[in-house]
Amino acid sequence: MMVKFTAEELRRIMDLKHNIRNMSVIAHVDHGKSTLTDSLVAAAGIIAQETAGDVRMTDTRADEAERGITIKSTGISLYYEMSDESLKAYKGERVGNEYLINLIDSPGHVDFSSEVTAALRITDGALVVVDCIEGVCVQTETVLRQALGERIRPVLTVNKMDRCFLELQVDGEEAYQTFSRVIENANVIMATYEDPLLGDVQVYPEKGTVAFSAGLHGWAFTLTNFANMYASKFGVDVSKMMERLWGENFFDPATKKWTNKRTSSATCKRGFVQFCYEPIKQIIATCMNDQKDKLWPMLQKLGVTMKNDEKELIGKPLMKRVMQTWLPAATALLEMMIFHLPSPHTAQKYRVENLYEGPLDDQYANAIRNCDPEGPLMLYVSKMIPASDKGRFFAFGRVFAGKVSTGAKVRIMGPNYVPGGKKDLYTKSVQRTVIWMGKKQESVEDVPCGNTVALVGLDQFITKNATLTNEKEVDAHPIRAMKFSVSPVVRVAVQCKVASDLPKLVEGLKRLSKSDPMVVCTIEESGEHIIAGAGELHLEICLKDLQDDFMGGAEIVKSDPVVSFRETVLEKSSRTVMSKSPNKHNRLYMEARPLEEGLPEAIDDGRIGPRDDPKVRSKILSEEFGWDKDITKKIWCFGPDTTGPNMVVDMCKGVQYLNEIKDSVVAGFQWASKEGVLAEENMRGICFEVCDVVLHSDAIHRGGGQVIPTARRVMYAAQLTAKPRLLEPVYLVEIQAPENALGGIYGVLNQKRGHVFEEMQRPGTPLYNIKAYLPVVESFGFSAQLRAATSGQAFPQSVFDHWDMMMADPLEAGTQAAELVTDIRKRKGLKAQMTPLSDFEDKL
Amino acid sequence: MDFSSNYDITQTANFIHTGNFTRVALQFPDDLLKDSIRVVSELRKELNLLTTKEIGLYVLADTTYGSCCVDEVGASHVDADCVVHYGHTCLSPTTTLPALCVFGKANIDVSGCAKCLSDCLLTSDKPVLVLYGLEYAHALESLRTESSSLCGTEGSSRLHFADVSSSVINPLESKETPSVKLESSNSCTANGSHDGSKQTEDKIDGFKHSIGGLTWKLPQGHKMEDYMLFWIGLENPAFSNLVLTYNSSDIVRYDPVENCIMKDVSQTKKILQRRYFIVEKAKDANIVGILVGTLGVAGYLNMINQMKALIARAGKKAYTLLMGKPNPAKLANFPECDVFIYVSCAQTALLDSKEFLSPVITPYEAVLAFNRGSQWTGEYVIGFQDLMTSAQFNVDGGPEEARFSFMKGCYVEDFNQQESINGDEDKERATTDLAEATHKALQLHDKYPKSIIKGAAKSGAEFFSSRSYHGLEMQTDDSVPRTFVTGRTGRAAGYTGEPKKEGNS
Repeated sequence: MMVKFTAEELRRIMDLKHNIRNMSVIAHVDHGKSTLTDSLVAAAGIIAQETAGDVRMTDTRADEAERGITIKSTGISLYYEMSDESLKAYKGERVGNEYLINLIDSPGHVDFSSEVTAALRITDGALVVVDCIEGVCVQTETVLRQALGERIRPVLTVNKMDRCFLELQVDGEEAYQTFSRVIENANVIMATYEDPLLGDVQVYPEKGTVAFSAGLHGWAFTLTNFANMYASKFGVDVSKMMERLWGENFFDPATKKWTNKRTSSATCKRGFVQFCYEPIKQIIATCMNDQKDKLWPMLQKLGVTMKNDEKELIGKPLMKRVMQTWLPAATALLEMMIFHLPSPHTAQKYRVENLYEGPLDDQYANAIRNCDPEGPLMLYVSKMIPASDKGRFFAFGRVFAGKVSTGAKVRIMGPNYVPGGKKDLYTKSVQRTVIWMGKKQESVEDVPCGNTVALVGLDQFITKNATLTNEKEVDAHPIRAMKFSVSPVVRVAVQCKVASDLPKLVEGLKRLSKSDPMVVCTIEESGEHIIAGAGELHLEICLKDLQDDFMGGAEIVKSDPVVSFRETVLEKSSRTVMSKSPNKHNRLYMEARPLEEGLPEAIDDGRIGPRDDPKVRSKILSEEFGWDKDITKKIWCFGPDTTGPNMVVDMCKGVQYLNEIKDSVVAGFQWASKEGVLAEENMRGICFEVCDVVLHSDAIHRGGGQVIPTARRVMYAAQLTAKPRLLEPVYLVEIQAPENALGGIYGVLNQKRGHVFEEMQRPGTPLYNIKAYLPVVESFGFSAQLRAATSGQAFPQSVFDHWDMMMADPLEAGTQAAELVTDIRKRKGLKAQMTPLSDFEDKL
Repeated sequence: MDFSSNYDITQTANFIHTGNFTRVALQFPDDLLKDSIRVVSELRKELNLLTTKEIGLYVLADTTYGSCCVDEVGASHVDADCVVHYGHTCLSPTTTLPALCVFGKANIDVSGCAKCLSDCLLTSDKPVLVLYGLEYAHALESLRTESSSLCGTEGSSRLHFADVSSSVINPLESKETPSVKLESSNSCTANGSHDGSKQTEDKIDGFKHSIGGLTWKLPQGHKMEDYMLFWIGLENPAFSNLVLTYNSSDIVRYDPVENCIMKDVSQTKKILQRRYFIVEKAKDANIVGILVGTLGVAGYLNMINQMKALIARAGKKAYTLLMGKPNPAKLANFPECDVFIYVSCAQTALLDSKEFLSPVITPYEAVLAFNRGSQWTGEYVIGFQDLMTSAQFNVDGGPEEARFSFMKGCYVEDFNQQESINGDEDKERATTDLAEATHKALQLHDKYPKSIIKGAAKSGAEFFSSRSYHGLEMQTDDSVPRTFVTGRTGRAAGYTGEPKKEGNS
């Protein structure tokens, strides 16, 4: 069934910008996205002329197939020719009946949401897949919000319909209620995005923007399918018919009348149930019961003809075959996308505002807006895909304006490029422009706007993403960088088994970091290489990639997962502490206190920061956090890294030369807040108050050399006297499971110091939705244990949520916190004993 | 032990006499300074027996740099024509003056040491190479005989001893090409690197190694990893040097004071890991301070110039600082430097920079950090003479690609990666920084206090212009005179009104 094409043929359609749809498939994990995509690919996937049909196109990695989940997003092109008949109602611009659909299937597991972010950027529409029983889940919601934020127009498919008919055997009205609730839930999220340019983004079955599908069995329908069938029979037009097939429309076959309310008549049924659900149910039941004598006449009535060998099938295979022939998934879904998702030409009109950083009236903005193939090149590289020759990458992205061609010289603007500057800017030639045809890459001369493309020869100059334009377009601004929604909190230390493999490891880490925007590879004080990822699964995949793909199989040794902590204080320092400078001529007096609740988060979110207008900052601090107005003007700095959630505030009065040492104190603070006194973890939520300062009257004796180390020491002393505590990262875990699995879930959570704060039954389902907090430290092996305790019925999704204070005193030997501190210190190669207060505090 | 034998008085007198020196500087480290008067008088007595010539003896103390190096600058203050160095030494070659090193003679229990050595030999299947602190060189002969009698002939064949190269240091004739000179005289090469040219040279008598004044030869085809190293001495810089240089060999240490074997050298392996981290950190530096840690060791000037060239090639800014022995307070006076390179003799080069605001690295580490394309392979070179012959030094710049920073965990771009193409403009920029900053100060451009954000400065001038305090300023925004504030009263040791310590916790 797949479409065999030569690169030239495919390239020809790429010019028809009105006939292109770039779309991503998004869903919660295990809602059947990949299966559904597969059925689309099987029907309409473009493969190179010479390759034989290969069924599984999207999940290409061995580990993905093994786990049954998608890890990397994959791009695939589909070709579909609409019939004149079905295009009759289409109002948009088009050239001919041929359509090119560039589809990106992306992972549903939270750990890989960066892949989703990258996919959304280069698509204009999204097919949201929702399990008809489980409904809208965390990840559906997260991704949907992200999509809408990028101005991606959604269509919905209610998936796993087969469960209704086979597994649960629900009756029509109940099924309708479930579906309509699922759709309503999705619409609640979509309704919050009111966007005049994008218009109404909610989905309506009666408008054809909702499909009902059974990915596993390869069938799907929209109300259009059925409306076409019945419209002539009832003598109304198709759109009128569609409205009757959803919502409060009832039909009584006895009276042959439509009503807006259920009548008392027993034969009166909802339109959807009467004309869509029941016929399907009937066909399925007939197939499953092997009542072939009944089946053939029914199929004949529906205009479905089966091949002779197919008629031999029995039971489930027969049912699948019949349904696929009657309501092929590809036709329903592709037609829905072609009808209701925007072409690049349409989408870029309103997306330009989100995409382009420069002035919206310059030639680049206009070229993007009009999707102008003759305009200047604007191309966004959203991800780097490892190529088959080790160590090289394809730069994968979308052309928003102009054309990119083999051999062209392009300007590469990296994420740190500032227009007019020279930073993060390169001019290089594109060696080859490549398009994917199935698993095979084909070189083409050029690729016009509106399409996705992979470029060869730029990987050395693109770190994770970039904007490309023509060499001469020096005044172009870049396309806005993507924001990723998850943060890497779980880390492992890696070492190579053979010491001489170190260069390989270093090179491998660089490549890993390039291939995955979410992973952070760093090095610790102790000289250990650290890989940080979004979760356990993510890390596992990263390590596998690192060893197999990026290090040529050289063996690595990984440590147990390591969690980073933060250091904070519980109370105000018990007294003012003082430290003397090395020459004993300067004395700094300080106190530490915890920042007000919510303030560190406000700093994290950037609501309060060093770059704010002092007036705004002062207003927020005094109104929301109860600060004295005068003191808000005396914040010296934030830290670590000048933006972190700790501060130094000047509380001195009438100190001479204070201005002079400010920079030195700030430098000392940056240093101290990066490496707290307990275990050299970052500080969080500490406010250092400079209470008094005595300085030598000679400038030479109060230089940075004297003040910087002293500031650091006095801050450590202040931290130690203010009841220092550790903060640990905590996940928000969301679990969906049937009632009988709840006991197991609670058991595992209790054992792992987790606590449930919300338990809710999903209306209309036997499923419960549980939200809990779980310390990240305890999360290792959590999924596996949970699966074991619930016989595989519960699957958790964990996202970093907040920092939680550990109440144990790390200064008191034997407590859990003290042990943690010792462990961290040991790992970092520090002295096991904390430096005592007397080493930091001096006496007059 | 006998005083004059401990200080090698006779030998010293002979050295002075045969060298025909007339002005002799006697350099003492702080801990031996108390003996200096006695040494001078004994030496004078001995010299008077040998010659009637008037010979000036000068005592040098309080060396500016490491006391293990010969203080040539100090010696030239008295116009000396030779130096006698007492105490612990690194035997680094000198530039102009000949020098005699008197190692001193530390106590050692020879039989106990021989016992440990033979035990060690029996438990190890590798041949053992004995290395030692120079202060134990005097006991070498007796140790050799004692241990060979303990181990028997079979054992002795697996036992090798290093020799002391020479206690006399002759200055290099040509200052311009010290590295070449060094190589041919073979007084201080060896870093385990086996580049082709050396190998052919050494084919006849095997590969010659030397470290910290010790030399030994390995038979053709043997590698240092094939040996077990047995170190006699304390855990001092000379030992850390050894551990870092031969980090892939097994090393045991015999402690002469405790009279026992210490096998745990894991702490030192950690040092190597930490050095690796510091190198990664140094890669992110924009401004580099070169600390001159020696004015004596041959080739230091050459090294400093090499470092400057290296830094310039990497597109970073270098400042050369001369400050004697570095300490945290001194270095923190240059907060604009992101990293310091300490150019000094091998044994003072390693500074644990935990307490320093910015890390301090050795020239070898600088080469690793700033030479794109050079890799950390485990090889480690401390002496900077060794460095110039090291393979890493001549690695040409790596691919022109954004650099991966393990500190930030992402790709970063070095400032001059591209700007080096128009270097002139860049140079100009640095010099006009201050002018620009002043110019900007006149414009109303940034209402918010700058101090809270400190950008990454690329030069000292830029750093200065980003400081919040630039010296005395006119209060332009606020023309109303402030009210007087009473200053402090009392003594500087604790002014009245300063918070007193309550209680002693």
